[in-house]
Amino acid sequence: MSAKLLRVTGLTKRFGTFHAVNDVSFEVAEGSIHSIIGPNGAGKTTLFRLLTGVHAPTSGSVVFEDGPIAGKRPYTIARKGLVQSFQMTSIFPRLTALESIAAVIVTRSGRSADLLTRFHRAVESEARELLESVGLGAEAETEARTLSHGDQRALDIALALATHPKLLLLDEPTSGMSPAETRKTTQLVVELARSSGLTVLFSEHDMDVVFEISERVTVLHQGRVIAEGTVAEVQSNPEVMAVYLGEGPVLEAVAN
Amino acid sequence: MDQLVIEAVGALNAASSLFLAAAGVTLIFGAMRVINMAHGSFYMFGAFVMASLVSFTTSSRFWWAVPVAALSIAALGAVVEATVIRRIYGKEHLTQLLATFALVLIFADIVLWIWGAEYRTVGIPDTFIAGIDIFGTTVPKYNVMIIGTALVVGVGLWLLLRFTLLGWKIRAAVDDPESVEASGVNLKLLFTGVFALGALLAGLGGAVVSPQIAVTPGIDQSIIVFAFIVTVVGGLGSVLGAAVGALLVGVAQTAGTHLAPEWASVFPYVAMILVLAIRPWGLFGVEEH
Amino acid sequence: MLPTTTEPAATAGVVRARGGSGSFPVLGAALAAAAVGALVLAGALLPLDDALVVENAIGLAVFALATNLLLGFGGLVSFGQAAFYGSGAYVVMLVWEHWGWSFWLGFALAPLVGAALAFVIGVIALRTRQLYFALLTLAFTQLAYVLAQQQHEFTGGDNGLFGDVLPRWLADARQGYMFTLAVAVVCALLLWRIVNSPFGLVLRATRENRDRMEALGVNVFRHQLGAFVLSGAFCSVAGTLFVIHTQSAYPQLLEWTKSGEPILMAVIGGMFAFLGPVVGAFVYTLGHQWLVQHTAHWQLVLGAVLLGVVLLRPDGLAGLASSRPWRRLRTRNGGDE
Repeated sequence: MSAKLLRVTGLTKRFGTFHAVNDVSFEVAEGSIHSIIGPNGAGKTTLFRLLTGVHAPTSGSVVFEDGPIAGKRPYTIARKGLVQSFQMTSIFPRLTALESIAAVIVTRSGRSADLLTRFHRAVESEARELLESVGLGAEAETEARTLSHGDQRALDIALALATHPKLLLLDEPTSGMSPAETRKTTQLVVELARSSGLTVLFSEHDMDVVFEISERVTVLHQGRVIAEGTVAEVQSNPEVMAVYLGEGPVLEAVAN
Repeated sequence: MDQLVIEAVGALNAASSLFLAAAGVTLIFGAMRVINMAHGSFYMFGAFVMASLVSFTTSSRFWWAVPVAALSIAALGAVVEATVIRRIYGKEHLTQLLATFALVLIFADIVLWIWGAEYRTVGIPDTFIAGIDIFGTTVPKYNVMIIGTALVVGVGLWLLLRFTLLGWKIRAAVDDPESVEASGVNLKLLFTGVFALGALLAGLGGAVVSPQIAVTPGIDQSIIVFAFIVTVVGGLGSVLGAAVGALLVGVAQTAGTHLAPEWASVFPYVAMILVLAIRPWGLFGVEEH
Repeated sequence: MLPTTTEPAATAGVVRARGGSGSFPVLGAALAAAAVGALVLAGALLPLDDALVVENAIGLAVFALATNLLLGFGGLVSFGQAAFYGSGAYVVMLVWEHWGWSFWLGFALAPLVGAALAFVIGVIALRTRQLYFALLTLAFTQLAYVLAQQQHEFTGGDNGLFGDVLPRWLADARQGYMFTLAVAVVCALLLWRIVNSPFGLVLRATRENRDRMEALGVNVFRHQLGAFVLSGAFCSVAGTLFVIHTQSAYPQLLEWTKSGEPILMAVIGGMFAFLGPVVGAFVYTLGHQWLVQHTAHWQLVLGAVLLGVVLLRPDGLAGLASSRPWRRLRTRNGGDE
């Protein structure tokens, strides 16, 4: 059994009387591709925010690589290797793709105070390699804001990858994408996980994507986990179907 | 006790002048998210127009000179809004700062052109030359007049923003311009009106305070700094903040003259630094993103 | 959401700050070298009065370049750089006036004082953002101005300080010019190096997306403070060049309106191009000189020109498109809500 990179236990986030995330527990195995699904308002975004430190939990724990991270500052968590790529692309508009990646590499290697040296060939070549791996090799000198939507998402993922994360969080990576772009992105994610042993945790609406690449799926509904397992297990789970079809009580009655 | 009353009135006087100068800046920013560097220029215009109107006699002209001066600056404000300000809504801070800085230059030149470089003074009407009794101490009546004006303006603004339709429209327009427009409000006119109101406040400030200052070109640049200090201390966009900020800075200024006359002018800056060190958005300011 | 216009090819069309593999763009370097050559010739051959005007422009170019480190590359609008510019000039004059120090000592001390002052101001001011930062820096420089005016025993008050502070060979106008040019070139090279360093890249990235850099572990405050200190030091050097030009220092150098000048220059010349501010400095200085000779209303013309430039650039200024879009009154922006 592979090591559990991320262990979430009883995680709860309350805003006033509203429980956005309610007693959520799951584990993510190292090197796996794990997805979180659920209808709108299920709490996926809040869950991710809890994991990355944007919110502090009301209760519960998050253990990453055997170290607790719940409630820590975002950059502390990022430094430990848990990095998110954002749903609303958050890039550096006026920097070229190459410069954007280089900026992250520089930061990662602690050289951001370096005032006088010019660019290391090493930084540049690593940046170019990374861009190649996300399919942006040709766009290295292009200003980020002039890239297509899909390319910007790829750049966003590349920025996250440049930090050499151990766990990559993707919040709805294919939203707003054309089928071709979706294809490209999913292939990319799979390749990354397979080739570099990167652990990926992502949330998605596109069920095709989920079922195609996930090894395990956790289903949220109204802040709670209602199902967890392999794709097949989740697909045949009546409660999950009910939640998605919206015919909860009726279907349950029928199933009983 | 005497001394205390005099100092207190002095501080309130200073605070009132500051509030009158700053209210317009914060109002305009609060309503339209525009920072106007030329606000000091409006103030200066108010003072100069006042000086011209009152240049011959003191008594009778003073009373109508103040509103006339204020209204003329309001008109100027409306023109400025329609030609320049309109084009910088929603733009970068830098754009707004530079555009209004350009206006500062232009207005400074115009004032020099029309009025020349000399000193002007504005005489106080006879009724104000005497002192007034407060708690047994004689205090310059005009100080009280300024304090009174500031109070009226402050309360008036608060009432306007809180309870009138105009106030509602302004607040709504800030939060949700589309639906306000959909409900039939002419947004353009509204913004022109608000800006003109801000300019009026500046002009009024300049006109009312003019007897207490040397009216020369250059007061635009000095008053705007204080207006900014007060606005920033109070929190950009908050009229209440401007009032509290003005009080703080006015007291600091007066305390400074009292405690360390050589360094008196440093006190307002120190007050500002202290406030912003604790609350970088000002006392009543909203955190910006 | 993100506009598609590109940065204007550096309105100056000259060298762009690119964090490339380290190769200096050849064309840009050649042009810059040619420009320096032209300035050398100007200093040697122009009639003295004209050469002095160019000398002034060179000094202001350093001021503008230093300011643009913050403005164009750091995205920080500071209306307080005059505090460092004026301090540079005052340091030289003050140590000479009160302690009889030579110009060289003052010249060496000035950037250190500028850096120290920038550190103190930056530590306070950089805790605020956006407009508050601009206005706070404005207030700081105004404070310096007021102090210079009022502490007249020390600073010479409104009249400032003046006198034969320059060593003989520097006091010769043409040699003073050459020295000024040399200092300016050195400053420009250093700033170029800084902008193209890893530090500079991170600074630009922070300008583009502060939150992301913070999420990546960058201490943005410290980084910006570093840039602020550097800018202060170089602004002070520009102040010493002013002393070479006029052998004086006076309070107006510290006023907030003085801070507007380098910003103006950077904007006119192009904020995102490294040499843009230099172009702006020359345009401004020469234009100002010409105007003053032809009309008393130079302020009006300058204001009108500035207004025109600001209003008529389609995307705001120099193709500026904020990574933090200011909430438009007409349309809603997504932003990271």
